[in-house]
Amino acid sequence: MQHQALPQPVSISSPPPSSESRAAEAPPMQVALAMDRLSQAARLIADIRLGADRLLEALFVASQPHQSTKPLQFFAKEDASMRQHLQDLRSIGKQLEETGVINESLRSRSNSWGLHMPLVCPDGAVVAYAWKRQLAGQAGASAVDRARLAFKAFSDQKRRFFPHLEDSPSDQSGESVSKRRRVSVSHEDDATDYKTLSDVLAQLEKEAPNVKVFTYDRLDWLKRAALLPASANENPMEVSKEQSFHSLNRLGPDSVGAVATDKVAVIELLFPSVFRAIVSLHPAGSIDPDAVAFFSPDEGGSYVHARGLSVHHVFRHITEHAAMALQYFLGVKADTALYSILHWICSYQTLFTEVCSKCGRLLAMDKQSAVLLPPVHRLYRTISTTKVSSTQLVSSTKDQSHPSSQAYHAGCYSKET
Amino acid sequence: MPVKWVFHWQLNPGTTVNSQILAEVSQCAETINGVKGRWKANLTYYKPIFRDQTAPSEIPRDFIGISLPEQPNKCYFTLRSHRIVVEADLSIQNIMEKLQSYKSRVTLVFEGFQYHLGDFQVRVGKVVPSHSENLRGIVMEVEYLPISSLEKSREIMEDFTEIWQETLSKRSLPGRFIHAEPNFSEFGLSDNYTSQHTAVQYATVMAQLIASAQSVPAVRN
Repeated sequence: MQHQALPQPVSISSPPPSSESRAAEAPPMQVALAMDRLSQAARLIADIRLGADRLLEALFVASQPHQSTKPLQFFAKEDASMRQHLQDLRSIGKQLEETGVINESLRSRSNSWGLHMPLVCPDGAVVAYAWKRQLAGQAGASAVDRARLAFKAFSDQKRRFFPHLEDSPSDQSGESVSKRRRVSVSHEDDATDYKTLSDVLAQLEKEAPNVKVFTYDRLDWLKRAALLPASANENPMEVSKEQSFHSLNRLGPDSVGAVATDKVAVIELLFPSVFRAIVSLHPAGSIDPDAVAFFSPDEGGSYVHARGLSVHHVFRHITEHAAMALQYFLGVKADTALYSILHWICSYQTLFTEVCSKCGRLLAMDKQSAVLLPPVHRLYRTISTTKVSSTQLVSSTKDQSHPSSQAYHAGCYSKET
Repeated sequence: MPVKWVFHWQLNPGTTVNSQILAEVSQCAETINGVKGRWKANLTYYKPIFRDQTAPSEIPRDFIGISLPEQPNKCYFTLRSHRIVVEADLSIQNIMEKLQSYKSRVTLVFEGFQYHLGDFQVRVGKVVPSHSENLRGIVMEVEYLPISSLEKSREIMEDFTEIWQETLSKRSLPGRFIHAEPNFSEFGLSDNYTSQHTAVQYATVMAQLIASAQSVPAVRN
């Protein structure tokens, strides 16, 4: 075989190793060239493989009887192209060697760009260096974030679609977070005395006499949700008595027992004819809310739960807003978050009667969704956990004076620090 | 059931109803991002048939049977003068025919388009006698889907009506929509909205249309 010095297929000349400082061959360019050549080499290798197949095929055909000179011509053609490929590969290999890709000759030399040439390891793996490593590092960091988000998304989905499943012991982050919260509660001397669910509910009943509060464990709520809507003229309590829920673990606020409380995972707040709000507690038996959703009192079905969405625009908007309020309460003071969110939910009893504090109207066109809505926002940042007198909460329709229940349209609402 | 208000078009004195009004109103609904569909309802005036001729002198003439699109298997009967409303199965019409007890005097059809505007559903329709294109009136239904309580929905419905009237007034139409709310408790109906409420509202609308038609001769469109 002739070892010919063919003109190089690559039109870019390879720089001598010492000329890194030349402007035309700045480190990023070198690295780019190296990556380029590596990919060319890979293509040539693929071509060589194909050529080898073709040669074998030509040999096979030639071995068949009664053949013309065609296979011979084919063979000669393939031979020529194979040699060309092999020589191209050799020259690229030489270039790569010179630029320090195949060996580590340049590794010790770091340039001001912090870049290194990619290295081809003996087993064929290409190790890209600093600039790719940086990207890889970023990818790694974002991979951690993404994994975290994915985990959260999966656990959210699990809770949404399988709310009756007990969370596995491997759900470390949720449990450890709430454990941490509880630990901090016990260390502090907390002024508020809403430490148990029954305390919270009792206090709520005092402040919002119109509300009906029910508690359930998760499975029982699902059963109830599927049977909603109760016939409009019947009291929901009567309905469930008629249908004799033997397993319904319903606790009235005046009958909360210590044993039963540790299973409570769903709190239902019903303002008759106005709305129904569902709050989910996680883990069951705690006072840590993790989701809240609003529905029409006439809605029913298995989608009615703390991570479900109402079919009505007005309640969808409120549910979105409530998610933000919940995050706020959990962030500001997690141990009173349940009381805060329940108290805040009660401010919606004026949903269809209280005008917006900014524009003075009841209905307004929501620009984003092009739908007429009543004021769906209620302030939550100014809410405090101190006891509110019941007279203030049961406001008349024209009374907008109570700061914690000021109503706003989504468009009129401006974030106040 | 979601709360519904039924309106009828009250003409300015001296004007007559025409299909132009209907077209303008429909256009108005379409501009507020409504999603369109069709709807149709029937209303029949019945009169009792007597075998013998010794009919009592005072027979109420406002016995109405209404079929509504949201309740395809039901028929609603009202006797407005006596504040009675009854929900019956559709097969009652067979019974009435077989028994030859009641005969239909005139049947009116309410027909038009419906629009879904967020949580509101608006229906606009013409009132024509069956087998005729003689426009007798225009009706509108406004439904607010999230609420079933008449009392709780009152302010929202009033607000919507105001917005709607404002939008319509820009088109300078001869007349406006009126909602005459009947006294539902007199009919034994509760605050919770049902199709019986709708039937009573339609009976009231018919009474209004007849009253106004008697003062103005009905014209072809």
